[in-house]
Amino acid sequence: MILLKHIHKKFKNNHVLKGIDLEVSKGDVVTIIGPSGSGKTTLLRCVNYLEKPDEGTISIHDLTIQTKKPVKKDILQLRRRTAMVFQHYNLFENKTVLENVTEGLIVAQKKSKKIAREIGIDILTKVGLADKINAYPQQLSGGQKQRVGIARALALNPDVILFDEPTSALDPEMVGEVLEIIREIASGGVTMMIVTHEIDFAREVSNRVVFMDDGQIIEQGSPDDILIHPKQERTRKFLKRIMKEPDFTI
Amino acid sequence: MSVVNDWFSLFIQVLDKLPITLFMLLISLVCSLVLGVAIAIIRIKRFKVLYQIATFYLSFCRSTPLLVQLFLVYFGLPQLLLAFQIDINSMDRMIFVLISLSLHNAAYLSEVVRSAYLAVGEDQFEAAYSVGMTYTQALWRVVLPQAFVLSLPNLGNNIIELLKDTSLAFTIGIIDIMGQVRIILGNNHGIGMFEIYVVISLIYWGTCILIEMVISTLEKVLKKGKISLSKL
Repeated sequence: MILLKHIHKKFKNNHVLKGIDLEVSKGDVVTIIGPSGSGKTTLLRCVNYLEKPDEGTISIHDLTIQTKKPVKKDILQLRRRTAMVFQHYNLFENKTVLENVTEGLIVAQKKSKKIAREIGIDILTKVGLADKINAYPQQLSGGQKQRVGIARALALNPDVILFDEPTSALDPEMVGEVLEIIREIASGGVTMMIVTHEIDFAREVSNRVVFMDDGQIIEQGSPDDILIHPKQERTRKFLKRIMKEPDFTI
Repeated sequence: MSVVNDWFSLFIQVLDKLPITLFMLLISLVCSLVLGVAIAIIRIKRFKVLYQIATFYLSFCRSTPLLVQLFLVYFGLPQLLLAFQIDINSMDRMIFVLISLSLHNAAYLSEVVRSAYLAVGEDQFEAAYSVGMTYTQALWRVVLPQAFVLSLPNLGNNIIELLKDTSLAFTIGIIDIMGQVRIILGNNHGIGMFEIYVVISLIYWGTCILIEMVISTLEKVLKKGKISLSKL
């Protein structure tokens, strides 16, 4: 469903993505792991064009964008078929929790205010924020903010939800509540791409793990293949570093 | 009794021209806001040739006195245009005042707008894009409402400066409150300077207080979600 071909991205002289090929099928939950600076986040941001790739093509269903000569209308379409959950929440600061969720429905999807409101309340109830719909982001805890972020993405009913390190900015005691929500969504069959440092979570929630290092995909496969029986030396080193008690065979 | 009456009648005479002052303030404020936003966007987006022109214009407006700019527009512009066979000598002199005030103030306002826009942060744009908004939708629905609130303290300052700048218009013969003061003094052969300048000071002061009240009310009403400059 989503097909990335030969994606290259440079920031000045820094070659961040060195030819990424990745396919994501409908219903897949793909987690992307790797050391800091390996290009995970940049790759994710290329999928909805928040970062403009220098080379390659991005396809989602029948929509294909040649990044050498992108069409503005196609980029908008791409963004309307995707949604993103940000590391730092990026909620609309001047809007209430409910407005945060309905804004995209009303403005981008042209739904009526009434329907948008119904969808918004429904989804906010699902993430356990029914009592906060009139609060402003500043009045919420980190965990609550991120749940709004997830609700906002989910409400759009996109082809894929992109999670950019959704728990990295949270206090440790709030990580659980956010992961729980993501877990629930994943079991509901929503296609997701998740950049994360939570290895246990990746193993449990995803059906494919992609390991990236130095702007390239080093290996990918089922969680067990990658996280327990990694073939590549670099993957082993990374996992060894990140896990205190290695439960994989070296 | 007569002393009180004198002061009172001075007030009435000067206040009589306050609408002219406010008219200059309002029109040039609106014009400079439009122009200021345009310049700010040009500078933020770094449009190629326009960026150089805007920067040049900004530098000029901020580095020469308003009085010089006013004379340049009033005396210089007609002469320049005459060379192109355009005669604007018969134009209302108020137009010249409005042009110079707008051009001058737009330079300052553009920086107010630019700093407020940048203070909102790229993350708000990205959030808007991620839910499928276009640049224009993101700008009007998400970024500008926040930028406006952030700009209010500086905008208030700017409006007050602009009000005081209008007092230069008398130099080309506009009869605003300052012009009226000069006329009254002329009729009195310069007697009663103290009283009249106290009166006009109080009127400027009072107007400024009103403007400040409007701005702080706006800040309170629009401060949704408790956006504050300290949020970073």
